[in-house]
Amino acid sequence: MKKITAFILTSLLLLANAQIFVFAQTKQQQQDVLIRNATVLTAINGTLENTDLLVQNGKIAKIGKNLKASANARIIDATGKFVTPGIIDCHSHSMLDAINEVSYSVTSMTNVRDVLNPTDIAIYRALAGGVTTANLLHGSANPIGGQNTVVKFKYGHPVEDFIFPGAMPGIKFALGENPKRIGSNPQPGQRPRYPITRMGTLEVIRDAFLRARDYKASWDEYRVRVAKKDKTATPPRRNLELEPLVEILEGKRLVHAHGYRSDEHLNLMLIADEFGFKVATLQHALEAYKIAPEIAKRGTGASIFADSWSYKLEAYDSIPYNGYLLWKAGVLVSINSDSDERMRRLNLDAAKMMKYGGVPEEEALKMITLNPAKQLGIDKKTGSIEQGKDADIVIWTAHPFSVYARADTTMIDGEIFFDRAQDALNRIALEKERQNLEKMDANKAPGTGGTSPKIPSERRKADLDDADDIGGNQ
Amino acid sequence: MKQRSRRLKVSRAQTAKVKICKFFITFHYSLFTFCNLFVYTLVKNVHWISNFTSEQFMKKSILRFGVAIFAFASLCLNGFAQARTDIFAITNARIVTVSGAPVERGTVVVRNGLIESVGANARVPADARVIDGAGLTVYPGFFDAYTNLGLTAAAPTAPQGRGQLQIQQASAQAAPTNSNYPNGLQPELTVAEQLRAGEAQFETARNNGFTTALTVGREGIFNGQSALINLAGDNVSAMIIRAPVAETVTFRTLGITYPQSLLGTFSALKQMFLDGQRYDQLKKMYDANPRGIRRPESDQSLEALLPVLSGKMPIIFNANTEREIVRVLDLAQQFNLKAVISGGQEAWKQAARLKRQNVPVLLSLNFPKRTTAISPEADLEDMETLRLRAETPKGAARLASAGVRFAFQSGNLTNLGDFLANANRATENGLTKDAAIRAMTLSAAEIFDVSDRLGSIETGKIANLVVSRGDIFNKNKTITHIFVDGRLFEQKEKPKTPPTPRGSAAPATQGLQQVGGTWSITVELPGQPTPGTLTLLQQDKTLSGSIQTQFGTSQLKDGEVTADGFRFTATIDFAGNSRELVVSGKVAGNQMSGTFTTSDGALPFSGTRNP
Repeated sequence: MKKITAFILTSLLLLANAQIFVFAQTKQQQQDVLIRNATVLTAINGTLENTDLLVQNGKIAKIGKNLKASANARIIDATGKFVTPGIIDCHSHSMLDAINEVSYSVTSMTNVRDVLNPTDIAIYRALAGGVTTANLLHGSANPIGGQNTVVKFKYGHPVEDFIFPGAMPGIKFALGENPKRIGSNPQPGQRPRYPITRMGTLEVIRDAFLRARDYKASWDEYRVRVAKKDKTATPPRRNLELEPLVEILEGKRLVHAHGYRSDEHLNLMLIADEFGFKVATLQHALEAYKIAPEIAKRGTGASIFADSWSYKLEAYDSIPYNGYLLWKAGVLVSINSDSDERMRRLNLDAAKMMKYGGVPEEEALKMITLNPAKQLGIDKKTGSIEQGKDADIVIWTAHPFSVYARADTTMIDGEIFFDRAQDALNRIALEKERQNLEKMDANKAPGTGGTSPKIPSERRKADLDDADDIGGNQ
Repeated sequence: MKQRSRRLKVSRAQTAKVKICKFFITFHYSLFTFCNLFVYTLVKNVHWISNFTSEQFMKKSILRFGVAIFAFASLCLNGFAQARTDIFAITNARIVTVSGAPVERGTVVVRNGLIESVGANARVPADARVIDGAGLTVYPGFFDAYTNLGLTAAAPTAPQGRGQLQIQQASAQAAPTNSNYPNGLQPELTVAEQLRAGEAQFETARNNGFTTALTVGREGIFNGQSALINLAGDNVSAMIIRAPVAETVTFRTLGITYPQSLLGTFSALKQMFLDGQRYDQLKKMYDANPRGIRRPESDQSLEALLPVLSGKMPIIFNANTEREIVRVLDLAQQFNLKAVISGGQEAWKQAARLKRQNVPVLLSLNFPKRTTAISPEADLEDMETLRLRAETPKGAARLASAGVRFAFQSGNLTNLGDFLANANRATENGLTKDAAIRAMTLSAAEIFDVSDRLGSIETGKIANLVVSRGDIFNKNKTITHIFVDGRLFEQKEKPKTPPTPRGSAAPATQGLQQVGGTWSITVELPGQPTPGTLTLLQQDKTLSGSIQTQFGTSQLKDGEVTADGFRFTATIDFAGNSRELVVSGKVAGNQMSGTFTTSDGALPFSGTRNP
């Protein structure tokens, strides 16, 4: 009996705490944070032992020892804990209400910005795995897919707060099985979609750039005529499909090219050479070690899986040492998840780079922090622990490359979005809320009849963008 | 006898036609003397209110009324047509004008389809048919701000594995047009073209107090240009109040052609808006100086977008979740659209921005509620769903306090009677009753810019009225009269006490159809007959069991055995869209046949009993 009373009392106390906590959190954006006595993995300047980090106005204000904070600052004692930059996932489909527009071979007019879901629970789970930033990409159903959006996972904020300010716009390209398979397996009533071969895929891309070139020329010509005060000059049609391709040609938009076979990736880079732009990242690129010098020479990045070796035929030549060999050749390598689930374990994926080939610790950490930041054009703001950068910080219970490590606190721009202790309190509050909600009439099952629930309940698939879910809205 | 004479005295002579009226009354008295039945039914049916509730009279009254009208017409051809059928005076009633303070005891006069006068001292014309409104309340006719009323039922969707396929196939069969855009992206389609004539289709809506509705097409991304109609009229031109009134958009896909995903839906819409802007620009350039400029193509779809892009015509977006609403607000901002939200379950979460952008909401009163049965194996329902059901009834009050304009719509309620019940729930959750009534009358008229002719009880406005005994939010109220365009539709008042069971209370089991058993059925989906299994468990007249098709298994609800078969409802999940299914069938031996009816249309089915 005493035990029960004690339990109830504790629960009540915890609830009261939760209330205070929630209140405190709303004010946190302005509140300074001082992380004390941590082991800081900076991902740029080595590891700093027994170090304090002061966060002010959402930025890393000071790194050093025995730092002083203002009276109302939140102090986090990180003794025995590890601090890293927030993890950046360079290939994700979280938050998307639709992933693939499969109708055309070129769907550059689509933009995942239009279909973001800021309430996707995958965001919170990613935060619990230390991920703060992600490159949200269109699927791989088209040689040229839709435009991307780089977001910070500000779970609970309105969707406009998620958009990474100043991130380079990008676009998804796809080579190999996926785009050609979509073409050759039309849905009932649908015509086969060109292309249905790998060479067709490359032709579609070259053709699109030729069209984009003409489109740009038509606008240039129009502007000249307007400048000459030609009153018969009529504006060309604004073409949402070709505008992003013109931006690529002008170096204002990054190409993230899905592919597995390195002959195809090489061919894409040759097309890029022809049209005078640089492919920003080769995505997946599991056998890119075969063309490592060609990639390095062009300054193109590789964003790979740490494993998934030979997981399908076109990935047959992938090997555990791919990441190491690329790194060794001077390629900017990042490790991505392409999955709501794997996103939560990117720290361990980075650790695999140390195991297979022996990438140094900091270089391995960079593959999930600073390197993807560089690939996305956001490395001036995030990706490492440096004074003046955004306070996108994870505090780990152990070294992040340990299987025992868990993210304790994840903050973005100095605001805490995941806190393991807070999460425990939230669970209690949620359970109570659930009990109250379930008592309401609207939430009660109908007295008789009613639809049978789906067992098991449906999960949203946002895993390995194999374009299996081609039915539109997932 | 006393009662009847009192009612008749109300129209006592007041005007120059005193003599005629006197004669009229005398005539009635004499008629009464001669033909008790005749006058009784006249009184009963023309609704000079009677408290007679005898069931026998109710039953036979329709027949008698017909006879009476015939007799009356043949007897009174010589000048008594002064009892005009289109002039009414509702006296001694409580009048909720909505535009002003309610009149506690007053008169509303209806003449020639319009409200002639209203007020405590409004004069009762001698030629008016008088309705004693003692104990009655008069409201402006209710306005359902988003419906498909007056349109033929949609071709039933028969989704296969991949849900949206059929949408395209269905619309591919639609009549070809000269549009440059595919079916579903043709904003030039008008509801006015598709409206059907006929009264009967509006009866249910009218019986629930509705006199006016916005009616919108069901198909496509652009649902076409909607129409504002009055729910009466034997021809379409008489129904229409204004058409076109607004363009409408639903965020869906075209199935097997672009756009095939929500991503494409947005880019397709944006491209069309851009094309429309350029079309306008080129046309103006060309009209000003055609020499040296290539003639712009004439494009009927873009032409139809011009009033939307210039902000003259509102554009309604179907959006329920917060993120859908945010997407609409972004789009409206980008293209300077006069946007309206329809549905708006989570609109309250964006109340501040809706207010800032002056975007009104056609708020659905189809509040979400749980329809899934309990199953120990199933996952718990997620918190978002539970919260949504709890929060939605509070939405109206929150929009009101934020100053967002909103009107109520029925949102495809299965039972239209829930409209007022749910409006009442909104009032229980913080909305004032006045605001609730406004949201189903004047606010809707304001959103569609017809408040100068509709939506309140004011002199000169269209005579759309609903009269009820008891407050409209009261469960036990009775709607007694509906006026649409000044035309009276009478309601049968509910008996004051529930009818006593006739004869023996126990239903006779013998002679009842035996429908129980397992039945193999075939549903005639167009081009794709679909097999299924119907398991019926019969207990006297009650029916339970399940229906299993490729869309899954559902439990039967409200199952009953009828004279020649059975009837039940079930909720079926069509590729993520749950639909209320009304199934009725006839049974002969081991054969059955019948129809599945959903909001999309009806499908025949047949079946045999498994041995």
